[in-house]
Amino acid sequence: MHQHDSHPHGDRPTQECADCDAALESLFDFLDGELEGSLETQLKAHVERCKPCFERADFERRFLAAVQAARAEERCPKSLRERVMNTLRAEGLGV
Amino acid sequence: MMTDAPAADARPTPTPEFSDAAIASMDDVYRFARSLTRDPSDAEDVVQDTYLRAFRSWHTFQPGTDIRRWLFTIARNVFLRSRERGQREVTLDEDQSAVVDAAQAHESWVRGGLDPILDRTDLGPAITDALAQLPESFRSVVVLVDLEDQPYEAAADVLGIPVGTVRSRLFRGRKLLQVSLAKHARDAGLLPASPTGSPA
Repeated sequence: MHQHDSHPHGDRPTQECADCDAALESLFDFLDGELEGSLETQLKAHVERCKPCFERADFERRFLAAVQAARAEERCPKSLRERVMNTLRAEGLGV
Repeated sequence: MMTDAPAADARPTPTPEFSDAAIASMDDVYRFARSLTRDPSDAEDVVQDTYLRAFRSWHTFQPGTDIRRWLFTIARNVFLRSRERGQREVTLDEDQSAVVDAAQAHESWVRGGLDPILDRTDLGPAITDALAQLPESFRSVVVLVDLEDQPYEAAADVLGIPVGTVRSRLFRGRKLLQVSLAKHARDAGLLPASPTGSPA
């Protein structure tokens, strides 16, 4: 359960808090799973108790999910796939 | 008695493995090629050449490693060679500072505009269009990390750039993407008119 009310600045701009500055600087690393060990633990704890950073993280997480979902929009054209397969068969691909 | 000694040509092309692993990744390679070239026809050339080279050098693939990372690296090299041949010259515009700065200055406007639409299921085409508008240097990083789920280190390896550069290009690319999507939301009537000085 998140506890956003305990942040010393409440909803005030995050620039006023050094913890928020550090959190925002590493936010994408955190969301991308690129932080390790204590750094990840510290940032996770901060985001869970700081409402502005939680909202920011939630927004960026949903943005990244939307971008990831767009992956299905673009697929290799069937004609290209057939052309590649024909080329590979000519090279000896046994399918 | 048969020996275990390998023949001179110890690793002939293992076609079933190639079919299973490499062919199945063609959508991913095509997306990455599009991110490099912007042009569908050029992307098809890159994919075709990538698979030909991959097939011929299949013996160099290390089993157990990420085959998509291997294919992306080949595709990147194919693309760079095609540029060297002068088929096309792409000007990399990495200096998008003004747009990124504007995005940060109007963070609340961008977030306020995007927030209501992020969960829409019909946002895919707008995101694809916005991605296509990104400069190549940002686009290739965003595609590798955000669409193809590659770790920073793998993206750095594929693109031949430091991890720190991946990180900075990813940040800027994502911010540019957000500005572009916010404009889309505004143009689609989903967002109030932009504040004075907001990204045009």
